[in-house]
Amino acid sequence: MEQHQRRSLLTRLFEPPSIGVMAPGTSLIVYGLLAFWTAFVLFPIYWVLITSFKDALTVNTGPFYLPWVDFKPGLHAWRELFQIDYEDTLSAFLNSIIIALASTALCVLVGSMAAYALARMEYRPKFGLIFLFVLIMVGAAAAVGFLGQDWRLAFAVALALFVLLARAVGRYFKRAVGNGDILFWMISQRILPPVVTVVPVYMMFQAVGLLDTHAALIIAYAVVNLPIVVWLMHDFFATIPIDLEESAQLDGASRLTTFFEIVLPLAKTGLAATTLLTLILAWNEYLLAIFLSTTRAQTMPILVAAMNAGERGILWWNMSVVIIVMIIPVVLMAIVLQRFISKGILVGAVKG
Amino acid sequence: MSDARRLQIEKLNKFYGPVHAVKDLSITVEPGEFLVLLGPSGCGKTTALRMVAGLETVSAGSIRLGDDDVTHVLPKYRDVAMVFQSYALYPHKTVAENIGFPLKVRGVSPAERDAAVRDAAGQVHMETYLDRYPRQLSGGQRQRVALARAIVRRPSAFLMDEPLSNLDAKLRGHMRAELKHMQHELGVTTIYVTHDQIEAMTLAHRVAIMSDGVLQQLGPPREVYNNPANLFVAGFMGSPPMNFVHGEINNGRFRSDGVDLALSDANAPSGAAVLGFRPEDAAVGPAGEGRFDGGVYASELTGDQTLVTVALGDETTLAVKMPKDYETEYDSVVSVQFPANSAFLFDADSGARLSTGLKG
Repeated sequence: MEQHQRRSLLTRLFEPPSIGVMAPGTSLIVYGLLAFWTAFVLFPIYWVLITSFKDALTVNTGPFYLPWVDFKPGLHAWRELFQIDYEDTLSAFLNSIIIALASTALCVLVGSMAAYALARMEYRPKFGLIFLFVLIMVGAAAAVGFLGQDWRLAFAVALALFVLLARAVGRYFKRAVGNGDILFWMISQRILPPVVTVVPVYMMFQAVGLLDTHAALIIAYAVVNLPIVVWLMHDFFATIPIDLEESAQLDGASRLTTFFEIVLPLAKTGLAATTLLTLILAWNEYLLAIFLSTTRAQTMPILVAAMNAGERGILWWNMSVVIIVMIIPVVLMAIVLQRFISKGILVGAVKG
Repeated sequence: MSDARRLQIEKLNKFYGPVHAVKDLSITVEPGEFLVLLGPSGCGKTTALRMVAGLETVSAGSIRLGDDDVTHVLPKYRDVAMVFQSYALYPHKTVAENIGFPLKVRGVSPAERDAAVRDAAGQVHMETYLDRYPRQLSGGQRQRVALARAIVRRPSAFLMDEPLSNLDAKLRGHMRAELKHMQHELGVTTIYVTHDQIEAMTLAHRVAIMSDGVLQQLGPPREVYNNPANLFVAGFMGSPPMNFVHGEINNGRFRSDGVDLALSDANAPSGAAVLGFRPEDAAVGPAGEGRFDGGVYASELTGDQTLVTVALGDETTLAVKMPKDYETEYDSVVSVQFPANSAFLFDADSGARLSTGLKG
């Protein structure tokens, strides 16, 4: 008892009362650090929020931190974007929603099917045939570029030539690549900095007359995000016991039925996470958007950037309003998809 | 139910690269027959079953179901149902949805499907669990659901891949009896794969024993047990398995360390041979009064009997089943006796059964 009394305040503060319970001092430090981190993370959002209620004078003479105390908040920025310029804001908002949702849907559908194929079927394309294909296609591109051939004709001839050659000499090629190589090739598409590919992408969409359309951005985003979807979903599919799919086949299900009835529901955790990631990537994309859209297909990130470059200087207050409007749908989507990201879907599938 | 069909497997082969997993397997399963494919793990029995199911491609040979050649037919068109070792229940579907899945993908109307699901669930005593999910069921219940899903659409053949091996021993015995009863009721042609010889003995109309991808013997359990075709079958069946004494045949006699026995065929060809007899066919007695003598190595009371292990020389131990009240001293010298008609002789190199037996 006496010993207990003699222990220093510090010892008592940092000695846990029992296992699994934090000592008062420890919990003070832990919660203090957590509170600091929370403030650190939330501050930019808070700052954007209050900035959206400031006027030019308040921003430029600032910094002011507390509304009603430091400065008098006003709705003029909100009014400007939702009453005066509401057509621009609304159109960018709708463009962003359409493009993000459509490209994500396309990308996740195609990507998860490709990922499933790579997870469950074996591909052994011959190395020599891939080389031959690339060679012939480069030849066709050269014919179009330097000799001014019609591109449709050039590529049709090239394709025919490839099929003929493949049938004639294909069996002499021995070395083949496997699923792992295909998967790596997929992700390698993201190794190059996107800015390198922007100009050719621009020219391609120009050639097919899709510049400044929703279709251009939907296609571009779906293609750009496809490797990520394939890569992630491949891992999720690989964890599903193959017995379930074999059983479904014997039960009379086709490959497609098996995929939609058995495999996808079991991969919904991964599907939700992948969808959210793809959605955010498409929602926030700037580089391709600025090249492929001018007015009609303009997205929110472009709108934000535009406020940086007007003759009125940087419109922090307007920018803040647009940023808040941009954040809300993503947060809502995350809350919706969160419910699917739960564990334990596979419990009871095979042996327990 | 009378639409059971004959299943004919002819010269079936499977290669995985250089590995020859199944070699020239030919079996005809009669309509309504319960055939057990028995063998140690890696003997090719599961591969053979998966080829019948259509889950593995056939390297060579043919599979016929009734009058149809299904060798290269997709699993979904084969009209066979399979029960997996892992049960393979769909975790996101209820028991009713699991059982009804084969009917759903065939486009059976919901009302008809519901009736069939109730009927199938009733057969396996699971009708009160239809709204549960697989994760809410015990191992035995999951197994029943897997069975119900297999029987719900009345397939031409059942394929079962070690369906009882994930159950605990007590439940396994119970399910075995139910399985046998159900197969008898439904009369469906069945191939059942197992490594458990007790399951094979109890369930099968006929047993096909495989080793290294080769069919060793095909016959009713009793015949396979009493009349093994070769050393492998003799050693695989029985618990404990058949006793083997390695020795030589010379001048119409079988000789080994401490063993010298006359053969029924005095002109039997000479060479290395193996003498085999089953523990339950043998008895130990006073030294010098049996076929040969050995030392008592161990004596274990298992409840209904005493298992005596007799050492013969340095390398051979023999098991003998004695009545439960039998008692003996360790290291005492005893004789081992068994009738001539329960002794088997095998060629030591090929493992093939020799035509000769012991004399008298």
